[in-house]
Amino acid sequence: MKITKQFAGRQWLVSQEDRNINSALTKIPAILNGRCQRCNSLARGRLPTGTSYCRECLGLGRASSNQYLVRDEQVAHFRHVVGGGLRWQGQLTPPQAQVSQQLQANFKVQRDTLVQAVTGAGKTEMVFGILAAAFEQGKRVAIASPRLDVVNELYLRLQPVFRSIQIGKYHGQMATVVQLDQLVVCTTHQLLKFYHAFDLLIIDEVDAFPYAGNAMLQFAAQQAVKPSGMTTYLTATPPGSLLAQVASGELAVVTLKRRFHGGRLPVPEERLLLRPYIQCGHLHARLLADVLTAQQAGHPLLLFVPRIAEIPIYLAALSQVVELQNYAMAGVFAADPQRLDKITAFRAGKLALLVTTTILERGVTFPHVWVLVVAADDPLYTTASLVQLAGRVGRAADDPTGRVAYYYHRYTQVLRACQATIRGLNQ
Amino acid sequence: MRCLYCQQQFLPPIVWRELFSLQVAQQPVLCQACQQQFEPLAPGCPTCGRPQASPSRCQDCQRWQQHYPTQLLHNHASYHYNLAMHDLMVQYKRYGDYQLALVLQTLIAPAFRKLEYDYYVPVPSAPEHLARRQFDTINAIFAGLVPLSPLLEKATGTSPQGEKQRRARLQTPQAFYLRPLVGSLPPGARYLLLDDIYTTGRTLYHARDALQVLDPQAKIESLTICR
Repeated sequence: MKITKQFAGRQWLVSQEDRNINSALTKIPAILNGRCQRCNSLARGRLPTGTSYCRECLGLGRASSNQYLVRDEQVAHFRHVVGGGLRWQGQLTPPQAQVSQQLQANFKVQRDTLVQAVTGAGKTEMVFGILAAAFEQGKRVAIASPRLDVVNELYLRLQPVFRSIQIGKYHGQMATVVQLDQLVVCTTHQLLKFYHAFDLLIIDEVDAFPYAGNAMLQFAAQQAVKPSGMTTYLTATPPGSLLAQVASGELAVVTLKRRFHGGRLPVPEERLLLRPYIQCGHLHARLLADVLTAQQAGHPLLLFVPRIAEIPIYLAALSQVVELQNYAMAGVFAADPQRLDKITAFRAGKLALLVTTTILERGVTFPHVWVLVVAADDPLYTTASLVQLAGRVGRAADDPTGRVAYYYHRYTQVLRACQATIRGLNQ
Repeated sequence: MRCLYCQQQFLPPIVWRELFSLQVAQQPVLCQACQQQFEPLAPGCPTCGRPQASPSRCQDCQRWQQHYPTQLLHNHASYHYNLAMHDLMVQYKRYGDYQLALVLQTLIAPAFRKLEYDYYVPVPSAPEHLARRQFDTINAIFAGLVPLSPLLEKATGTSPQGEKQRRARLQTPQAFYLRPLVGSLPPGARYLLLDDIYTTGRTLYHARDALQVLDPQAKIESLTICR
């Protein structure tokens, strides 16, 4: 029988009755010493039969103590493509090229690297070089992000550039037939399905929920990459844990303080509102005035609210405004069944205003968009998320400026830090 | 306290009655945020509990009336089958998170305060599903609330209702049969069928038909968590 390589680098669960013997597979108990071997969490669940199971990675199939975790440790070999199959018409700016070179140099010595580049610096374009270098040597790569929308956008941007490379996209909201992909674009949760699979793992938006501070996902990332492989973290706002690794020398760091078009980061306008943002179904006059300004200027608008429950309230208030009668508006949130359609419509210009939560705070590019953040003093926002929100604006070379406004009742430490960070990067 | 569903830490609300009661207060398993996601049903269809504005029989029940002119099944339902409830059911049934039985049990427990029956009959799962999950989803929820009488069994090789379209669900053949009984039950007793979700009613009508073979005089109603 020909040994299939389709599952190389993957791991999955089998029951005790499974008698499949394949020398390329290793088999370990799914729960060992009370810990799930797939995600390293404590197996807290218990069935009436006495079997324990892991509740943390349940969505990928229940790992229980009467099951085994099978790993396909075959090494996948790919064709060495000259130039890595990169077909890209664009040109890197000199600072971008420098980052790209540095990344490729670090890849040669397999040194883990943090790329700290401001929002809109062109992080995706800067990794084209290291991807091509990896594909040229027939290496296997994964780009993972904690955010579903970022995964979708990355896939859209990578596919036309690497046409000759087999790219697979995986996330929990789609069913895909498993293939042996040279480049895997997936959510960080999907990394739990891989074991020592990748020579290069790139984690985009590493400080985003749910990856940040999640031991299970960090374990998944560690396991998915080969012991000899390299991990690269991309973010505009690195978390303290990574900065500590940089300080101790475990992690190399490459920084880029300018956007690709050379423009400065838009500095948020901070607006203290003394009355409620919304009262008796009417928006605060200042807030409404800013919405109308954006509408008259013809800019699509992202209106961020802290909680999903507030989306319909703001939508209702906006739809009552006479001037906005012919203005296409929608709200989008994480569990929205039409999430993808609405985001696509907004990108295509069919929707002019999107009321949303922090799901769209990072990793997404909408041309010419302006941003309004309601209740920027809400404890839900961190400095990183406020910096990211402002970073949605002015990302296009033909429109490097734009307006960001933060509305608050109480000037918080987080707002102050956000302002300081952006101004510091603009120096 | 840690919420059993979202696993977040939370402070249970203080209730005056519990402060002054001599009984030991029951520890809540759900945090308030999770609890609020589940919508209790407002009065709807008088026969099956389907949420609707009018107090007359719903379309589903009118269709069942053509099949069973005199014997519509009266169903008690507690919650709206909304997105939150759907997600909870998916995690419980499809992924087999047994711990959530306690969550569902707490949600449905108040419904039993007003009801009294002689026999509580859980709607059985297919044997292959039992083998895969290693627990019975319905028994696990209701066993802590009322004494169960497992009078029914389900044949093997039936595909789950949850994966079908409405038409296919309605055309599902009868899969329930009576478990062989030792002795006999008193005639004319009151039975309550227990299930998780009432969607088209197909499953519960089948279960009722199977149970009626045991005793044509029996008074049979049903209770589900959602509608």
